Amino acid sequence: MELLTILLLLAAILQTRVSNLRLAINIIVAQSVLVALACAIIGFRTNELHMYAAALLTSVIKVGIIPLAFYRLLPYLQEEREIVGREIVKANLSTFMTLLSIILAYEVINPHLPGVAVATTLPAAIALILSGLIFIMMRRQAVMQIIGLITMENGLYLFGLSITQGLPLIIELGIFLDVLVAVVVLVILTYRLKLSFESTDISLLKKLKG
Amino acid sequence: MHELILLALAIPVITGLLSLFQTKAASLRVLNLPGSIATTVVLFTIIYQIVQEKEYSTEFFYLDQLSVVMLFVVALLTLTATLFSFSYMEKEVKEGAVSESLLSRYYALLNLFSFAMISVLVVGNLGLMWVAVEGTTLASALLVAYYFNREALEAAWKYVMICTVGICLALFGTMVLYYGQVTAGGGSQALNWVALKAISAQLDPTVVKMAFIFILIGYGTKAGLAPMHTWLPDAHSQAPSPISALLSGALLSCALYVLIRNVIIVQGAIGPQFPHFLLMGIGLLSILIAIPFVLVQHDVKRLLAYSSVEHMGIITLGLGVGTPLAIYGALLHIVNHAVAKSSLFYIAGMITQDYKTKNIKQIQGAINGMPLVTTLFIIGILAITGSPPFNIFISEFKIVVSLFEKQQWMIGAVTLLLLSGIFAGMLRYLLKMSFGTAAPERTRVPVRPLAMSAMVLSTVLIIVGGFYLPPLANSILVRAAEIVLGG
Repeated sequence: MELLTILLLLAAILQTRVSNLRLAINIIVAQSVLVALACAIIGFRTNELHMYAAALLTSVIKVGIIPLAFYRLLPYLQEEREIVGREIVKANLSTFMTLLSIILAYEVINPHLPGVAVATTLPAAIALILSGLIFIMMRRQAVMQIIGLITMENGLYLFGLSITQGLPLIIELGIFLDVLVAVVVLVILTYRLKLSFESTDISLLKKLKG
Repeated sequence: MHELILLALAIPVITGLLSLFQTKAASLRVLNLPGSIATTVVLFTIIYQIVQEKEYSTEFFYLDQLSVVMLFVVALLTLTATLFSFSYMEKEVKEGAVSESLLSRYYALLNLFSFAMISVLVVGNLGLMWVAVEGTTLASALLVAYYFNREALEAAWKYVMICTVGICLALFGTMVLYYGQVTAGGGSQALNWVALKAISAQLDPTVVKMAFIFILIGYGTKAGLAPMHTWLPDAHSQAPSPISALLSGALLSCALYVLIRNVIIVQGAIGPQFPHFLLMGIGLLSILIAIPFVLVQHDVKRLLAYSSVEHMGIITLGLGVGTPLAIYGALLHIVNHAVAKSSLFYIAGMITQDYKTKNIKQIQGAINGMPLVTTLFIIGILAITGSPPFNIFISEFKIVVSLFEKQQWMIGAVTLLLLSGIFAGMLRYLLKMSFGTAAPERTRVPVRPLAMSAMVLSTVLIIVGGFYLPPLANSILVRAAEIVLGG
């Protein structure tokens, strides 16, 4: 479990250094695999069937369908990437903020609250949510922002896992469905952005003001 | 009852699915008119039964008089929005803004959107409510992006991004609340609203406080409360007009409804002071932030959108005052605002369609081309700015009176000042748009009866609501206010 947590945080830090879209997608898939694994391990420890079901769902949706949608989108976005030269300061800042949020999460959160299901992953989950939020704010590529959203969602999911062993399966199902549809909607919008703006740089979206 | 609820959820889904396979505008009309009427009839039957039985509670569903108030809003607005959609969208097709083959997608998404909003109101579990609220974002996102031009894409992107991040924070808060429930020993009925309310006094105050902050930010984003309102004017101005009406009147109300449900739990655990303080602050801020944008607005739909921010602020302020009168006023204001704002968006849709611009400066003398519609527009704007003798005046007055009754002199005075500022700003645009000199080549514009019926129905409610509230509605609101106060 400790190893998984370390790998998860490593993936989040690594993500801040990446400018290539395909690589970023691969990292987020790896992150989702780790989350599914964590879910399965908790299921194995507590011997609860519904954890296995949740792990399976995570794999199907976040490791299966969502990457599929991404890979189908990628051919349209050949020359899209975060501009590193100009943005290097921002990337450094992003890494720094992510590190800071990890330190903060481990400093502030006391994992040994009464009734917490899995103490080791609790601060990591908070750190993951924060780094997802930072990632969304720091990146301008549409795909990168979607990845930030998935990171945040992974963090939330891990948070639910560690604090109360997840929500009841019916709610969990609904959340998975929402995540799936959200990503699909955003992928459609990204494709349309490419068609209309000939770019998927979100900073171009500044016409609506006031 | 169970069957009725399932029916209310099934009809929009079935109508939506069937719409996908239609290609002709006429066949879509034939399908959607009975579909939306049936939904509304079923919803009103549910309302009737709940009023008789007081409440209905099962494992997944929970309905009481508070849900009734919101169900009324959604039932009315889905009907008028569908009625108005027919002629509006057909005219868009005729003018080449969209192709006819895309119409089926519009109606499918519209029905999906109605389905999502109805499910927000009928489920009795805070987790499922979250799922449904996120569902409303996703169903309406592609409607906001419907024209797929640059502005619409920008609006839709911001809408999905901001609302999803916001709603993720609400999920975080909900999970924390669930943790509180588990530690208080109520884990078997996870996030069930009735169960949570029953044990709310045993929840850990610190945990609940933390949960509430995230829940407020999350659902506040969805309800368009400042400073998380930035998606709202973009989405409202770029969506097709019937959708803007639904977003403003029904969707924001649904988000507020979920927030209210959470507040009831929270005040059971930590007392009303903390949540009321936050609600009042955020409400006042919303009114304050909306003002400058209303005063210097050049886009008629953005003008109405900022007015929505203002009204959500007024409602939240009323909820924050927390006396029975204030809650009563706030709930009544939700209904009144929904009726008036949806009507205004329909009318603005007709006007912008006719002038082919949303720019207020280029819309002048509308009364010459469409006297009846412009008259309704004048009534609507007067109502939305809170002038007597229309419905919004009544509810706004109740909220302001309750502020003074609670000895909040400063806040009451500031609110009144801000409201008069909005009145002045909106009226200036109203006069320009309605009575300015019209271009001589403008001719009379025919209005289709179905679209007209939607606008007239809303306007009748605006006017009648200013004079008369049926005793039944009054008793529902009184009971709903008691529920909000924890009764």
